Amino acid sequence: MKLPFNFLRAVADDQRIENLKGLSLFKRLTARELRELDELLHQRSYQKDEVIFDEGDVGLGLYIVVSGRVLIVSSHAALQRVAPECGPGDFFGELALFEESQRTARAVAGEPTQVLALFRSEFFSLLERDRGIGVKILFELSRTVVGRVRKVLASQSHLPVV
Amino acid sequence: MREEPEPGVLTWCVIILVTCLILYLFERVLWLVVPGLLALVGYYCLQPLVQVLVRAGLKQRTAGKVVTGLLFLVMALGVILLLSLAVTRAAGWKAVTAHYVQGGLDFLGKTEGLLAEKMPLLKSSALVRSTPTNLDAVAGQFVDKYLGRVLLQMVHWLPSLLLVPYLAYFILQDGNRLKKHMIQSVPNAFFEKTLLLFDRVDRSLRSYLIGLMKLTFLDTVCLGLGLWFLGISNPLLLGLIAAVLAWVPYVGSAVGGLLVTMVAATDFPSEPVTIYGCVVLFICVRLLDDFVFMPMTVGRSLRVHPVLSVLMLFLGAEMAGPAGLLLVLPVLGVVAVITETLGQILTDQRVRARYRQARQLQRTMPEAG
Repeated sequence: MKLPFNFLRAVADDQRIENLKGLSLFKRLTARELRELDELLHQRSYQKDEVIFDEGDVGLGLYIVVSGRVLIVSSHAALQRVAPECGPGDFFGELALFEESQRTARAVAGEPTQVLALFRSEFFSLLERDRGIGVKILFELSRTVVGRVRKVLASQSHLPVV
Repeated sequence: MREEPEPGVLTWCVIILVTCLILYLFERVLWLVVPGLLALVGYYCLQPLVQVLVRAGLKQRTAGKVVTGLLFLVMALGVILLLSLAVTRAAGWKAVTAHYVQGGLDFLGKTEGLLAEKMPLLKSSALVRSTPTNLDAVAGQFVDKYLGRVLLQMVHWLPSLLLVPYLAYFILQDGNRLKKHMIQSVPNAFFEKTLLLFDRVDRSLRSYLIGLMKLTFLDTVCLGLGLWFLGISNPLLLGLIAAVLAWVPYVGSAVGGLLVTMVAATDFPSEPVTIYGCVVLFICVRLLDDFVFMPMTVGRSLRVHPVLSVLMLFLGAEMAGPAGLLLVLPVLGVVAVITETLGQILTDQRVRARYRQARQLQRTMPEAG
């Protein structure tokens, strides 16, 4: 017989998995893969004007906006133009997933915001044990990064768009 | 990858003090600490198996139940087997231990005699004069005094070992949820650094405990093969005991070496070549261990200087006896990681400023609303 709290937890889990499926980054993942990924995601809530991370911080992971709005402010004009704002389903801080480098922009909650965080080393451990999930996430991630690079290149009149 | 600054003297003083305090507390609840530690080893070893089952289609909870159920079965069978062996063969073990202690003392006496013959100066030395004249009595006393106590301790510890699969099950099932809940309770400003702290502790423990298991396996195989080649009785069991004793760095290896020599001296009292062969084998395996196996397995996962390791072994023994010897280095390693990272978090001006800003926002929020 299942205990009530176990049952409630199972219902809550299913709801969360459904929500994850709706995010563009995870749209290619199966329910089983989403469950595995869900173990690694950390949900955080931010108040309006609260700093999520600052330019110059050592980046440790990627953030996905679940609800609310995140403003991206960078001292680099070109970067500022790429994605000045992130809404539900968008992600930011993705470079930290690939290397331990300093953040190139500041992320501030524009309104009460909920985000999911994916920590680099936990993502690497997922890549090691299930490359299938890793490939699907990296594919979606690369598409967005490529789009952002194109935007930067397009904004620079002296550089060709490849 | 950025290089983190090395902790200073004050930080190390705090690390040593906290380690001693933890060991002192651990000694009070040793019946829970030992199964807890073994459960952690079980968790790290079984986690890949659970993940294989999850990928094969089982749900995480079902896979955890299957794997820990198997572990429970194996452990229960092992405990039953050991208990029945202890009950039926205790008298035999007493005789065997007395036999080997006697053999070791005989070898010691012979070696001293030979030394005294070659170097007459030694005849008058305190070492030779202190050699017991009645070796049988000494061996008998040793067995009466210690073997019964060791056997009683074994029987006393076996039931609490059954806690291992139970604890491993809960770490496997809910360990990650517990970690996420703990991280969730941390203020946003410290979130990323806290993730880093958990990751570092997890890495240190994982690489140390799994590395130790691999090292034990390699040592057992090498020593077992060598002893079998030399014709010593129960080579694999002896190899395993020596490898487990080596969990206590430096001191454990010496005790393991003595044990192997004692068995060889008893099995082959008139063949010094075999006895010295065992000593050479032991030294070779230790060298192999230090220069090849150790870097391959445990490595410098705990990042503790050798001199500090030895000093901490003495402190650990003082604080918590034999258990302190075993626990001191992993505890020191984990405390060092936590103290270092906490130091970095608390001295990071940007993080503290962000925390103050979030608190300010929280205070002004109801007023704005």
